[in-house]
Amino acid sequence: MVTPSIDLPNGLLMTRLKLPPWLVLLLPAILILMAVVLIPLLLSLYSSFTSYRLTRPDSITNWIGTFNYEKAAKDENFWAAFGRTVLFLTIALNLEMLFGLGLALMVSKVTKGQRLLRTVMMFPMMFSPILVGFQFKFIFNDNVGLVNNALQSLGLSSTAIPWLVDGKLALFSIAFAEIWMSTSVFGILILAGLYAIPQDPLEAAKVDGCTSWQSFRFVTLPFLMPFIYIAMAIRSLDVARAYDMVQIMTNGGPARRTELLWTLIGRTGYVDAKMGYANAMGYISIFLAIFFTVYFFKKLTSARAELGMGG
Amino acid sequence: MKFFAGGAGLAALALTTATGALAAGEFEGVTLDAKLIGGQQYEALYGRISEWEAETGGKVNVISSKNHFELDKEFKSDIAAGTTSWCVGSNHSSFASQYPTLYTDLTPYVPAATVAEYVDANIAAATLEGRLVMLPRAQFDVSALYYQKSLYSDPAKAEAFKAEYGYDLAVPTTWKEVSDQAKFFTDAPNFYGTQYAGKDEAIVGRYYEMVVAEGGELFTADFHPAFNSDAGKRALAWFVDLYEAGAVPPGTTNYLWDDLGNGMASGTIALNLDWPGWAGFFNDPSASKVAGNLGVAPAPKGSAGNRTGWSGFHGFSVTEDCADKEAAASLVVFLTNEDSQKLESAAGPLPTRDAVWDYVTEQAKGDAFKSETLAAFQETAKTAFAVPATPYWIEATNLIYPELQAAILGDKTIDEALADAEEAVDEMMQENGVY
Repeated sequence: MVTPSIDLPNGLLMTRLKLPPWLVLLLPAILILMAVVLIPLLLSLYSSFTSYRLTRPDSITNWIGTFNYEKAAKDENFWAAFGRTVLFLTIALNLEMLFGLGLALMVSKVTKGQRLLRTVMMFPMMFSPILVGFQFKFIFNDNVGLVNNALQSLGLSSTAIPWLVDGKLALFSIAFAEIWMSTSVFGILILAGLYAIPQDPLEAAKVDGCTSWQSFRFVTLPFLMPFIYIAMAIRSLDVARAYDMVQIMTNGGPARRTELLWTLIGRTGYVDAKMGYANAMGYISIFLAIFFTVYFFKKLTSARAELGMGG
Repeated sequence: MKFFAGGAGLAALALTTATGALAAGEFEGVTLDAKLIGGQQYEALYGRISEWEAETGGKVNVISSKNHFELDKEFKSDIAAGTTSWCVGSNHSSFASQYPTLYTDLTPYVPAATVAEYVDANIAAATLEGRLVMLPRAQFDVSALYYQKSLYSDPAKAEAFKAEYGYDLAVPTTWKEVSDQAKFFTDAPNFYGTQYAGKDEAIVGRYYEMVVAEGGELFTADFHPAFNSDAGKRALAWFVDLYEAGAVPPGTTNYLWDDLGNGMASGTIALNLDWPGWAGFFNDPSASKVAGNLGVAPAPKGSAGNRTGWSGFHGFSVTEDCADKEAAASLVVFLTNEDSQKLESAAGPLPTRDAVWDYVTEQAKGDAFKSETLAAFQETAKTAFAVPATPYWIEATNLIYPELQAAILGDKTIDEALADAEEAVDEMMQENGVY
């Protein structure tokens, strides 16, 4: 192969090529990350200090300082949605974890057809959240819905229960749909954890005369905790997928009774076209995501340390 | 690509469109990208696009087909990203004012004689700040009162009603009568007197028309909120009273159009204010339990003697950045011309051309249900009104509807809810520099 000789000022070519190998190797990843993560993040952070409206592109240069942040900080509807989102996350994640754990323990005991069961377990995850939203909106409809018709036909209720209107029932209905859709995520991850548990400690516990509950509580569960915390950390971020579902089922209503951060921010940004303000609310809510992630990772680290798996 | 040159070109275009004829091959080589509303009831018309292509030599490339709420988001993203070089877009009178920079003024491309063939009120609503931003298709919407006929032919019911309310039971002509009858007919949880759209823009639209029927207005001429008035309070009291009386399904504050339509078709609702597009569905025995028992009356009047008549219509617009606006305008005129409107309105939707109104009225003769439906909607259309022409209409509705819901559900009193809504809208308008 013939290398063309280029007449360059002394040493310039060498200087250009002398990037450290680790940087050269990481460069594609860095560039891609910058393009798809960092630049949009910086742009949205910048726009949160402007009066940017989607329908008025020139408004992105209209710097308004911390106006959007101050507005969000003073907006009681925003903080109510914030608190409701924390409550919703706490209830949904804990119940999903409990049901997922139960499901995984039961499936792990099945000796025949376990593969089929595992596949069936994953069915709800395969539905798009929009479809799940429509499905449960119909199921919980007070007039023509499945639940009320069943309750009335069975003589268990003589009134139309407003599942999607009453404050507590509406949150319950949304949580129910969310739990139905995502419990299997916990189920699958915990099942993987169950398969990874070494049998020796369990057998030793049996020999020492432990009851089934004691074996589960003091042997199985500690082994499962890292898996549970990983699932929790993933789901605490992933639960925002429920936006579509909540949007279809109640759209945050009625009277803001089921307003979550996602419906509020989505409506502000895309329907009202106030992207600057929506981004400011988004950045405040990021603290929520960071808090949950840090919390679960701390828990994960201590659970691993307890098992002697290092910090 | 063939371009028109100056005034001569426009004159030639004016001549061809004014006569409804298309010059053969005049847009040879032109390709128009279009973003059109999708859905069964809208797409029959698009079959005619191939006729326009055959006549003019142009090509139409439909690059997006979604419902209007999704299209709305896409248009906003396009404006933000500057990707607005596509040519023809579906538009709606309730959305149009949000896109002040997206669509071009059609006046230079459509002759005045052609514009005059459309219903004046529709053209007025399609003209924003003196710019004709869309041409209306045969998808005009105003609501009339659907009711179950059998309720009015039962002598026992008539007698009981008169004893309770002191006047004869007849198809209601006022909203007070609707309220009385709704309470009278209700037999919860199996049967309800009426229902209403309870969230989003839908409930604000319903509230808006009730405010007008009560003699008030939603906004002043310079868009200050004006609904926190006696008329506004009376209007909201109508919704609150029916909810408190249990005369509407308890989930009504979560209902949108599909829920209302399915509720009426399930036979569990006595009176239902709804759009013309539902008439065929409600009277279809395979889909609806009220088929054959369905009456349609003009929208009732409020205490001020005004009929409710919140209306809207679909149409087509041409983007400002379109490379060939003449071709795009030609397509828009074609899709809203007499033949196109006859085709669309044959399936039930209401036209927006005077000549086609006459045509559908003539066609409905001999079909009692169709004639009754058409007469009811035609009467309501006479006093129909569009949403206030402000780019902040949707944003205002998003501030108003949670407060209306709060009053209906009893979280706030009517006074508190309207005061809070007024304050929020006032702040938003000031923030946007409206006043």
